[in-house]
This record gives sequence, structure tokens and C-alpha cells, in this order.
Amino acid sequence: MEYGILKNYIGGVWENSSSAEVLEVHNPATGEVIARVPVSTPEEVHRAVAAAKEAFPEWRETPPMARARYMFRLKALLEEHFEELARTVTTEHGKILDEARGEVRRAIENVEVAAGIPSLLMGYNAEDVASGIDEECVLQPLGVFCCIAPFNFPAMVPFWFLPYAVACGNTYIVKPSEVCPISQSKMFELLDAAEFPPGVVNLVNGDRRVVDVLLAHPDVVGVSFVGSTPVGRYIYATATAHGKRAQCQAGAKNALVVLPDAPLGPTVAAILTSAFGTAGQRCLAGALVLAVGEVYEPLKERLVEAASRLKVGSGLDESVQMGPVATRRALERIHGYIEKGLEEGAILLLDGRKVRVEEYPQGYFIGPTIFDRVRPEMTIAREEIFGPVLGIIPVADFEGALEVIENLPYGNAASLFTSSGKFAREFKYRVRCGNIGINVGIAAPVATFPFSGMKQSFFGDLHGQGRDAIQFFTERKVVITRWF
Amino acid sequence: MSIELNTFGAVLKFAIEWEKRAVAFYEAGARNRLLAPFLELAQGSRKRLRRLEQARREGVAEMILEPISGLDGAAYHLELPPETDDLALWKQARTLEETAARFYQDAASRMPIREVARLLEGLAQENLWRRESLDRLNLAGL
Repeated sequence: MEYGILKNYIGGVWENSSSAEVLEVHNPATGEVIARVPVSTPEEVHRAVAAAKEAFPEWRETPPMARARYMFRLKALLEEHFEELARTVTTEHGKILDEARGEVRRAIENVEVAAGIPSLLMGYNAEDVASGIDEECVLQPLGVFCCIAPFNFPAMVPFWFLPYAVACGNTYIVKPSEVCPISQSKMFELLDAAEFPPGVVNLVNGDRRVVDVLLAHPDVVGVSFVGSTPVGRYIYATATAHGKRAQCQAGAKNALVVLPDAPLGPTVAAILTSAFGTAGQRCLAGALVLAVGEVYEPLKERLVEAASRLKVGSGLDESVQMGPVATRRALERIHGYIEKGLEEGAILLLDGRKVRVEEYPQGYFIGPTIFDRVRPEMTIAREEIFGPVLGIIPVADFEGALEVIENLPYGNAASLFTSSGKFAREFKYRVRCGNIGINVGIAAPVATFPFSGMKQSFFGDLHGQGRDAIQFFTERKVVITRWF
Repeated sequence: MSIELNTFGAVLKFAIEWEKRAVAFYEAGARNRLLAPFLELAQGSRKRLRRLEQARREGVAEMILEPISGLDGAAYHLELPPETDDLALWKQARTLEETAARFYQDAASRMPIREVARLLEGLAQENLWRRESLDRLNLAGL
């Protein structure tokens, strides 16, 4: 077991959990147990919150410029350990190294943006709002925030929030995914090396039981969550019922619309990356191709041909283009959806279940899978599969494609492939999805922009990253001044 | 045997390994009339190595991590058996630089990430300059 039993990081100290309950962490390429993660006790969660609460007053008074310097130190450490972090992500999650590198890079970008906190935190003012009276608005931190992280981006997602939260002067607790908790342990080793004051950043391992303690804790002022829609809805409802701020980024069913004027070569490459990258376990993954008019036949043919050539295997092999899914349970669930698709009458053009990776017979592998003649009412067209399963829906025209998207319960992302500026403009104007791609299959906002989401893909109002993050982690105080 | 260079990481890894090999080759061969020029080339390769490692860290963009096709590392296979003769070493160095230039040009044309493609183009150009610097040594007359 490569990583042993993972520790918590509370008040600047690495400590073993006293919990008797530990969960196994697997390498999805080999099926081997590579770590064990404790389900931390309520007492440990309370201590983490207490440590964060105690650290808050002093940290809040630390000048933003000084807080920014912690970000610079952290960035340098993340760069120094970049490859090690990427390999850790691949080992525990399964995604290929390039995808893991992309993930770590995006985590670092958030640290870089948060390092601009001296400017980002500036308020605004106006003189003479009434005779002899001036008014100003200042942004102030609130206290202890926490993040409940998903398994699919184990290094990055907590960093959509943590750098901004602490740069703003708050203190923070991360509860990593129990499926992929190792990357955050590594990130916290670097946070520790950056010498944040004790209690400013804390890590508590565990599962839903830990989450429930955090959600009910009176000293936690806000929660950031990324995960499925049912859990996101639960977290949002529970957190807000306890008077907390909450931002819950949830599930997705992202459509990729292809118009007949789209250049097929780059379009097919972009769709492949979108649908099968990270084995389809991105909340931005393209799950449905809406093929408009006469593009349907040639697009279908080229997609199947190109997808069947993707090399599936261990993500640590640089020549592999698609890794395993994260868990055996996920693999079984995906198989179930494929069966469901067949039952409901979709045509299976490419069956990923046939893929075998000889070197790793115990790995959770499934190859790219493509269904044709999917209808919008089918289960595989409506539910999030979170695996490398792409459904093709032929539609008559652009309006028909927009109608399919509008009727989807989710609103995370949608992409259009076209050469037409007119249709591109219509698409981005009308589609109710938070992240829109125009000739981009993975509409992943960079750190200066919010990672958006609408409909059942997001619960809350302020998103992770960018200005939204600054707003979420501060409250505005207005001061009106008159001197006699 | 084919060496699939079908991902961003596979291309960069191949390039990084290439530069490591170049450093080792020039350091091992730096003697006699080749001492100064080979040490300079080794130092240059170390810098190139750092630029490639930086590109691998910073150039990766999840939005455009599209598969790469048509690039096979076996096409740039190069045997560099140990030589003691300056002329033989000089010839190996020229071949190394020419092969590297060819690899970087081919890789640049297939790289979907523009900044990285520009880096690879630049490295190919440098390889041609490095070969010219070897030519100026005029060791062919030895």
C-alpha cells in the first residue's frame, strides 16, 4: 500500500484520525488498494472548525499583500512538485497524465489569480453622496468556510475555492472525496510547506458523515460543493437551512451541436476529447452529439472510426489516450446505462465493454462507447452517465437542437461547432447553460472567470473561481461618513 | 518498433528524453578540439530541457487536449555508439542535430497548442544553428 493511512491536517499539525473506520482507496488501473482513508470522527471535525475559527481573527488582520505572499510561495511549491502531483492524480483517479497535468495547471492558475488579492479585494467609494457625506464599500471576510470535493478533479476542485477564501482573509477546511483523497493530502503537504499560520487551512478526511457535521456546525459560515445533482441539492438545502452561504455545482448532460458547415476534422477531434477525455468523468464532458441535417451521416462515421482508434490503458503510460473510470461501482453503473440504452432502442455503434487492457486485468476499463439514434426522451439522453458514453441524436435543424438542449434538466455546458457567426451568436445568446463552447468541446473557464452552471447543474448564485469567488468569500460593508 | 507519440505528454516526454540524451552525449564527448563547443552544446541542451519541462507544466490546456496523429518516435531513432575519435563524434553530433531538427519540425506541425508548437519550431531552428556551429569547426579536414 503506497500511501498508507491518510492523515488529517488540523491547526497546522498532521494527525492520525482516531476513527476505527477506514475506507480503501484503489488505483483504478490496477484495482489495487493504494491507501486507506479514515472517516474522521465528529470530534475531529469540531476541532478542525475550532482551529479555523481561532486562526481567523489574526489571519483576517494580516494585510492582503502579506496574504498574497503565501500564494506566491504556494505557487512556487506547486510548480516544483508539478509532475509528482500529476502522477498522484493519475494513480488515484485513472485519468491520463496529460489530463492530470491540465488539472494541476488549473489548480495553480487559481492560486495565481488569488495572488492578486490586494487588487481584487479593493472596495469602492463616492464623495458627496449627500451634502458633506462620503460613502464607501469595503469587502470583508466572514470566517470559516469549507469545501466538499468530488472525486473527478481531486487536485483542482478544492482550489477553485481555497485560494480565494484564504486570500480574502477567511480560514478553510477541505473534505476531499473519499474515493480520491490522496491528491489533496499532497496539496496540503505543500500548503504546510508554504507555512500558512496554524488553522488557516485544514484537511479532514471522511465521507457523508463528516459532511453532515460541517453542514450543521454553527461556526462554519459557508460551503462550496461540486458533485452530483442529488447531493448538490441536499447540501444546498441543508447548508442554507443552517444559515450558511452555499455554492453547489452539480451534475450535467452536455450537448455538442454540430452544424453542416462545421469543419469535420477538428470538430471530431474536439468531440472525442470532450466525450472520452477523463473517461467521460468531467462535468463538462460532452454526452450528446446533436447532428444537424446532412452532417449526421459523415459525422457519425468519422466519430466511430476515430473513437475506435483511441488507445485505452493505464494513465501513467504517456501513449494512452483514455484511462479507466475511477471505481468498480462506476464501471458497473456505466455498463447498466449501456444495457438501458439498448433496451430503449438506441443503436450501439461502438461498444466500449469489449475493450480489454491485457496488462491490467483488474482495472476498471471501458472503451469509448457510441450510441446512435438516441431520442431525447431516452434515459441515456436525460441522465448523467459520467462515463465514456456518447449518444448521437440526429436533429433536423438548429432550432431542433436548441429545443433538445432546452428540455434537458441540466445546464452546465453546451457547445456549437460551426463556421457561422450568426448561429454562434444565436447559440450563446439563447442556450441556458452556464458554460458555452463555440468550436470548443470542453468549455472550461479559466481561473479569472466563474465556473458557471444553470438549471439542475447549479444551486446557489455565486460560482467558483474569478470575481464570483471574491464575492462569495466576502461580504460588503457600506460606510457612510460625515464629519462635523 | 513504433513509438507512439499520440498525446501532448508523449511528444514532450520524447523531446525531454532527447535533450537529456543530447546533454549526456555532448558532455561525454567534450575533449580535445571538441571540448569547448561540446560543453556549450551540452549547456544549450540543458536550457532546452528546462524549456520543454516548463512547456509540459504550463502549456497543457485541458480545452484542447486533442489526440495527435502521424508522429512516430521510431522515425527519429538514432544510434550513438561510444566513439573516441573526434571526427566520428563530430559526425554523430551533426546527425543528432539534424535528426532533432526534423523531429521538432514534425512535432510542431502536429501540436494543437500554439505556444508549444512555437517552442518546438524554435527548437528545430536552434538545431539547425547548432549544426551550422558544428560545421564551422571544420573538423571534416581532420
